Amino acid sequence: MTDTLLLDVRGLDGGYEPLQIFRKIDLSLVQGASVGLFGPNGHGKTTFLRTLSGIIDPWDGDIFFDGVQLNRPGARGSRRWRNFNYDAITRRRMDPKAVARAGLIHVPQGNLLFPDMTVAETLSIAPYASRGRANAAETLDTVFRLFPRVHERLDHKIRFLSGGERQMVAIGVGLMAAPKLLILDEPTLGLSPKLRGELASAIQTIRESGVPLIVVDQDIAFLEELIDTLYLFDHGRISRRIEKVDMPTHEEIMKLMFGEDHH
Amino acid sequence: MTLETLNLILLGGIVLGALYALMATGLALVWTTLGIFNFAHGTFIALGAYIAWQIASTEASGAGLLAGAGISIIGMFVIGMFVYYLLIKPFERNPDIVVKSVITTLAGATILENVINLVWGPRNKQLSPLLGGDMSLLGITISRNEMAVVALALVILAALGVFLQRAPLGRAMRAVAQNREAAQLMGIDVERLYAIAFGLSAALAALAGILIGSIRFMNPSMGSDPLMKALIVVIFGGIARFTGPIYAAFIVGLLEAVMTYLVGLYWSPTVLFAIMIVVLVAKPEGLFGRYRKSV
Repeated sequence: MTDTLLLDVRGLDGGYEPLQIFRKIDLSLVQGASVGLFGPNGHGKTTFLRTLSGIIDPWDGDIFFDGVQLNRPGARGSRRWRNFNYDAITRRRMDPKAVARAGLIHVPQGNLLFPDMTVAETLSIAPYASRGRANAAETLDTVFRLFPRVHERLDHKIRFLSGGERQMVAIGVGLMAAPKLLILDEPTLGLSPKLRGELASAIQTIRESGVPLIVVDQDIAFLEELIDTLYLFDHGRISRRIEKVDMPTHEEIMKLMFGEDHH
Repeated sequence: MTLETLNLILLGGIVLGALYALMATGLALVWTTLGIFNFAHGTFIALGAYIAWQIASTEASGAGLLAGAGISIIGMFVIGMFVYYLLIKPFERNPDIVVKSVITTLAGATILENVINLVWGPRNKQLSPLLGGDMSLLGITISRNEMAVVALALVILAALGVFLQRAPLGRAMRAVAQNREAAQLMGIDVERLYAIAFGLSAALAALAGILIGSIRFMNPSMGSDPLMKALIVVIFGGIARFTGPIYAAFIVGLLEAVMTYLVGLYWSPTVLFAIMIVVLVAKPEGLFGRYRKSV
């Protein structure tokens, strides 16, 4: 069962203690497939992805990736122990560097990267961090072909880049880490329609080159072209799983999530 | 003031500046990467000097200064990492780590200082100079040793700068300093990098201690005055750039030399602090600072 699944999330609970943000998330990805997450702001999508990549500890449930269990098996420590210093007394249940080195690469929402490093320096760190899974020079070429702007801006510091350019570098850094699965959290957030189109076609190319994706976005039309399965995220739960064949239109989604009255 | 006196003051200031630059860069390295201030840095200086003395001095092992310095620097690197895991790491994700680390590093400094006192005793000691003899420069005679101290400090700082700019490990260190979470998501081992940064800082402190020990006398609390000066340098210069504290160190060193001549040893710290306050009022992020911290 786990052999054919690239990612298998079972009954994941999590949040920021003491506030639970999402509960009982089941999400699976067969090899080579991509999924989209869709849902209103503030319903826990980003928190879920941060848990998936090990930045915050899951409360309950298991995460299997590429046949390996990413979280430490077993239940979380008792409440009594969690009240003491978490880092000294409780063992972390997930390790972000182990997640990234396994090939699950997360490009976070509104990634600010490293403001005082140049684009070239930033791109050079990823292969080092991922322990040289890929041929760095070759991947760098791919990134430049996808985003010619990144090539033009190589010697500029990140803090002088525009939001769109920064997003391109962030995705480029994700690619440099040789992802087996790439998580993109609202890659087109706050971009102009022109830039959004540019970025969308680049992401489409990444998808076609065989990198599976988990994409969060508010634009169903954009998601539809990329993914095989859509998960609707609602109040910290997955309320519906929709296969590509019966992908709904934007209006239908709005009805599903908010009832008849909204448009 | 004759020209000769002026040259003497200038050279004295440059020697002081080189030592301060070494110490302040060590402090700034920890400050920028971990975001905390290490009050044990002064004790690292003393401990490094004493370890070197233990290996090098003819009164102890007598293995020579080079062996002493090497073992001291490597030893302090390991001790620095150990201190990080013991005193800093448990509070790393606490929101009030800055306050906690003040207490833990102060505690570490006190404990280490007493350990030095216990092992080596309070009597003054001295390391042999790096180079013997004098040389004449700009019409005055100065010891070769002091010139060697300046040269060595500058070479080490340049090497550290190249390491941070070019080496993958150095770049990763800057990345963690600028955005810890993004670095984590790329697979960088943040804890290990923090430990290495702390170790490097301690190794720089050891080198500074050895150089001080070869110029002046050493005693268990020899680090507290340099720590104070390094603190002034780091705040004065700002930590926006790697070079900020280095320029500031030479300014503070020269100022101190001039003030010692003009108002005497007793009043020069007062004047220094006054100048620092004036600078900070005018430019709160430091002389070479920018709005945000980074390496």
